[in-house]
Amino acid sequence: MNRWRQSVGEIQARQRQVTECERAQVALSKVTACFQQMASSLGSDSDGSSLREELAETRALAHKICTGLHRRLLALLAEGEQGQEREHVERMWVFLLTGLETFQKDLKKVGSLQEFFPLTQRKDRDTLVKTGTSGGALEIAARVATIQTPWLAVEDDQIPDMKTQISKMDSLMQEMLQRVNVPLWSVEAKQEAWVEDIKDEPDQDETLEEMMQVELVSQEGTTSNCCHHPRCKLGCILCLLN
Amino acid sequence: MTIRSNRDHGQHYRPRMFCLKKLQELVVGMQDPKNGVKGSEQKLNITVIPHVMTGQDIASWIANFFKMDADEALAMGTMMVAFGYIYPLQNHRKLVLKADDSFYRFQTPYFWPVQKWLAEDIDYAIYLAKRNIRKKGILEPYEQEHYNNFNKWLNHKWDFIVLQAQEQYRAGKERKKADRVVFDCQERAYWIVNRPPPRTHSAMDHGLSRLIDPNSEEEQTYDQYRRINIFLEQAIMRAKVKSSVSLGAFVKYITTFKNHDPFLSPCLPSNPWQTDDSTYWDINTRSVEIPTKMRVERWSFSFFELLNDPRGRADFKVFLKKEFSGENLAFWEAAEEMKWGAADSMKEKAETTFKTFLAPGAPRWINIDGRTMGLTVKGLEHPHRYVLDAAQTHIFMLMKKDTFYRYLKSPVYKDMQKKAINPEPHNFSEAQLEQNARNRKPGIDPIIIWQQEQEEKAKAAAAAMPVDVKQMMSKLDRKK
Repeated sequence: MNRWRQSVGEIQARQRQVTECERAQVALSKVTACFQQMASSLGSDSDGSSLREELAETRALAHKICTGLHRRLLALLAEGEQGQEREHVERMWVFLLTGLETFQKDLKKVGSLQEFFPLTQRKDRDTLVKTGTSGGALEIAARVATIQTPWLAVEDDQIPDMKTQISKMDSLMQEMLQRVNVPLWSVEAKQEAWVEDIKDEPDQDETLEEMMQVELVSQEGTTSNCCHHPRCKLGCILCLLN
Repeated sequence: MTIRSNRDHGQHYRPRMFCLKKLQELVVGMQDPKNGVKGSEQKLNITVIPHVMTGQDIASWIANFFKMDADEALAMGTMMVAFGYIYPLQNHRKLVLKADDSFYRFQTPYFWPVQKWLAEDIDYAIYLAKRNIRKKGILEPYEQEHYNNFNKWLNHKWDFIVLQAQEQYRAGKERKKADRVVFDCQERAYWIVNRPPPRTHSAMDHGLSRLIDPNSEEEQTYDQYRRINIFLEQAIMRAKVKSSVSLGAFVKYITTFKNHDPFLSPCLPSNPWQTDDSTYWDINTRSVEIPTKMRVERWSFSFFELLNDPRGRADFKVFLKKEFSGENLAFWEAAEEMKWGAADSMKEKAETTFKTFLAPGAPRWINIDGRTMGLTVKGLEHPHRYVLDAAQTHIFMLMKKDTFYRYLKSPVYKDMQKKAINPEPHNFSEAQLEQNARNRKPGIDPIIIWQQEQEEKAKAAAAAMPVDVKQMMSKLDRKK
C-alpha cells in the first residue's frame, strides 16, 4: 500500500515538473519573440541606450529560462520511462534545441549590430538608419516583464556577457546533442499545419495589404469624404473604387 | 538543429558577396543629417510615418555623391533595392528604383543582407505561419507551397514554429500602430529579397553553393604553413617566361588571325548563327572540292594549321605524292591514330607501325635520327598510347622545316590559291531573314560524316598498301 502511494506521489511530482516545463516553453517563445521585436529596432534611429539595456535584460531572462529548462528536461529524460510521457518530454527537448538554435542566431545578429552601431559618442547617432520607427522598446519591455517562469525567483545568476552567453548556448546545444540520444526526426508535431491564433481580443487588425491599398488612394487625394474609422472596411473599398 | 558530419560533402554555403559591405557603408553615408538623403513623411489614414523618400531623391543623391550620370545612378539605386537595403512601398514585389515620385524607405539593419547571416528556412516558416495567423488565406500560391513543404520537412520543429509565430504576432500587436506597419513592411521586404517569388530576378541568386564556409576563419596550422612554404619554393624554382616574350607571341597570333576570327571580322558569306543561312558551313566542309580563300590563306600561317584542317591535309598529301615522300605524313597520321585510338588496339597498331615504318628495310621507312629510333623501338616492346610521341615530334619538325616551305612555293598550292573561291557577303533583308529562319533544316547527320570518313580511310589504306608483286604479275599474265 505504501509503495503504491509512493509511486502515485512520484507520478504527480513528475506531472508537475512536466507542466512546469511546458509553461517554461511558452515563456521561452515569448521571450524570444519579444527579443526579436526589440532587435529589429537596433541600428535604426529609435535605437538608444534604453533599448540596449532592455535587450540585455531580456536575454538574461532567456538565459535563465534556457538553462533551467535544460536542467529539468535532462532530469526528466534521465528517468528513462517509455511511452507517451517520454514522447512528450522528447518533444519538449527538440523544442528547446530548436529554440536555442534560433535564439543563438538572434544573439549573434544583435552582437554584431551592437558592434557596428556603437552608441558611445554623440556623433554615432548620425549613422543610425532612418527607418521610420518612432517608438522604442517600451511596450515590448512591458510584455517581457509579464513573463513568468516557476523558477525565476528562485535562481539568481548574474547577467552574462553577450559573448559568453553565445558560447554557453553553443556548449549547451552540443551537450544536448551528444548526451541524450533523441533522434530529432522521430518527434512528431502536435500542432496542425494551418493554424489560427486564439483570438484574445476582437480583430481590429487590418492587414498590411489593405492599409497599403488605402495609402495609394489617399495619395491621389480622393479620400476627403471617406470616414477613417478603423473598422469601416466598406468605406475603404469605396475609396478604392474612387 | 542542423547536424553536419564530416562525411557530408554537400555544398551548403553561400559564396562571399563582396558588394554587401560596400553597400552598407553607402547606406550609412546616406543617413548623414546634413548631406544625406532628404526624407519626408508618409500619411497613412490617420497615422503619420516619417522617413520616406522618393525615388528621384535617392537617384539624384547617388548621382551627386559618386559624380555619375543619371542612368548609372539609377542602376546603382536598383542594386540597392534589389539587395534589400532600401525597399519600395508601392509595388513591393518589384525591386527596382524608379526615378519618380514613388516612395522608398530604408531597411532596418536587423534585416540587412550580411554575409554572415543567412535567411534560414525556419525563420521563413515562422514568417509564413505568422502571416497566416494574422489573416487566413493571405498566402500566395508559391508561399502556400513552401508552407506545406515546411510542414512536411520541418515537422519535428513544427511546434516551435507555430508557437513562435503566435508569440511574435502577439508581441507585434503590442507596438504602436505606425511602428507595426513599418515593421510589417520591413519584414515583408526582407522575405521578398531572400525568398523571391518564382520567375523573378533576384540579386541574391548566387549560383552554386560552396563546399567550404567562407565566413569561418581558417586557423592556420603548422602543417598548412609548411605546405604553403613548399608551394612557394617550388614556384620560385619554376622556369619562367618573360611577359614581353609571351605578350609578343599573343600579339603575333592576333595579328595573323585577326581576319579569321568570326567575332572580330564578318564571316563570309554570312554568319549562319545570325542569318540562319548555312552556306558558310556548306562551303567549309571537310572534303569540299574547292575551299575558300580564307581557308587556303590559313594553311600558310603555320604547318600546324595545315595539318589540322582536313582539306589542307589532303592537299598536302597530294603534294607529297608528287614528291614521293608520303611516308612522313603517313607515319604522323599513324602516330595520331595511336594516340587517339582505342586501348585494345594499341598492340596491333604498334606492330603494324613498326613493320611499316620503323623496321630496317620497311616498305615506308622514315628517316629519323638514331637516338629517337632506339628509344621508339625500345618503347614498342611495351606499347602505350604515347610511345611514338618522340618520333612523331621529330617527323613533324622535319616536315615543317623542309617540306612545308616547299609546299607553299609549289604549283599545287599556288593552283589551289587561284582556284579558291571568295564568296560574296550576303545582304539579307528582314523578310529574307525571317524566311531563312523558317526554312531551317537540320544538317548532315554526324554518323553519315563518320561513315564517309571511314570509307575514305579504307580507300586510302588500300591504295597505300605495298604493291604485291605476285598479284601484279598474275594480272599481267591474265591480260596476256
